[in-house]
Amino acid sequence: MAKERRLLTFSISAVTFILLEVAALAMLNRSGDLQHMWIARTGYRFRTAAWSSSETVRNYFMLHGANEELAAENMVLNEELLRLRHQLRVNKADSASVPVPVSNGFRNIPAMVCKISRNSQHNYIILDKGSEDGVVPQSGIVTANGVVGIIDAVDRHFSYGISFMNTNMSVSARIGGEGAVGPLSWDGAGSRGAVLKQIPLQYHYSPGDTIWTSGHSQLYPADIPLGIAGDSKVVNGSVNEISVQLFEDFRSLRYVTIVCSEYAEEIDYLENLEENHE
Amino acid sequence: MNNGKYALTYLLLLLAQICIANYCNFSWYLYLSFLPVMVFLVPIRHNSVIAMLLAFASGFAVDFLSDGVIGLNMLALVPVAMMRRGIVSLVYGGEFFARQENISMSRHGVVKMIFSIILSQAVFLAIYILADSAGTRPMWFNLTRFGISMVAGCLISLVVANILEPEKIGR
Repeated sequence: MAKERRLLTFSISAVTFILLEVAALAMLNRSGDLQHMWIARTGYRFRTAAWSSSETVRNYFMLHGANEELAAENMVLNEELLRLRHQLRVNKADSASVPVPVSNGFRNIPAMVCKISRNSQHNYIILDKGSEDGVVPQSGIVTANGVVGIIDAVDRHFSYGISFMNTNMSVSARIGGEGAVGPLSWDGAGSRGAVLKQIPLQYHYSPGDTIWTSGHSQLYPADIPLGIAGDSKVVNGSVNEISVQLFEDFRSLRYVTIVCSEYAEEIDYLENLEENHE
Repeated sequence: MNNGKYALTYLLLLLAQICIANYCNFSWYLYLSFLPVMVFLVPIRHNSVIAMLLAFASGFAVDFLSDGVIGLNMLALVPVAMMRRGIVSLVYGGEFFARQENISMSRHGVVKMIFSIILSQAVFLAIYILADSAGTRPMWFNLTRFGISMVAGCLISLVVANILEPEKIGR
């Protein structure tokens, strides 16, 4: 009871104080020119700060939409970039041919990362796109900074992928524009370290060369930059093993692109045909 | 009777403050006011709302009857009334209100009174000088004005506190 009474007394005092101070400010505002300008200026500052804060909060809540728009735009640009790189390679291989737009053979689906593990030797990734969005198993997961993983299982609305940070996974990679090709796999230590294996000794490279996807598998398009070549060591006296610093930062991964091969069925058919012949 | 004497003394002091505000403009750096101590020494039995209303009315009287800008004294004086209970608790202790005792320089000592006056003057002068300069004067000017007005205000407030002591008026 005493507590309630104290609260009531305090409330009445606070209201009286505010009313009297507002009345005093109103009189001050009317009677002094300098004070009028000062109060107006303080009011403007307060309003500007309030608007600025509310705008910051509004922008923060709009970031999700903006990110999705940027991811979609990024996907279109990546697609265009890969198509042009592919066309460039075709033109370079046959300089006499007439340049025609050709597809790189992959269909792109933008997706958002729902969950990604980074702390084990067999990391996985879950994406927010599934079979209803056209995702099929054995599709690649990429970003503009490299390979993220491979789709392993697909549900209606989600898909489960094996992360590149998984000791069971490797990607066919190439050193520089025309260099040797070998399997690139995670080094199992850091989130940005990888090892490019089985590079014949006669192939020379320089530390700092860019590592690209080779395009030799039906999982990933060619010419996606993966990382920078570092030091190398000779293994078994016959091949080089090159350490690679990946471009992809798995700690800040949010948006990815799922790449589905358009010719996967044809290639599978040919492979099965060959197996049946054997 | 005590109330009547107290009210008369209060009014006479208010009149003196109005005269000081009108005729004793010694320097830009000095604003002489003992209004804060008058509000601070309002008898303890009156709650904060009454003290604030009294402060508002006193400030209005000084502003209206002197050459100043109307609202300045009111703006600075109401917070002193609002903080009066806090200052009393800080300086004289929390049990002061339970005993319904009035503040007395002769009983509680000059040091405590000086400390109370400094606190109430500081609140008053900080708001008054800030609102009076309205952002047009440099900080050093405001600080100098604050310092000089504080010293002069405290000295004159001690005299006023001696006059306005409720128990002395009641005798």
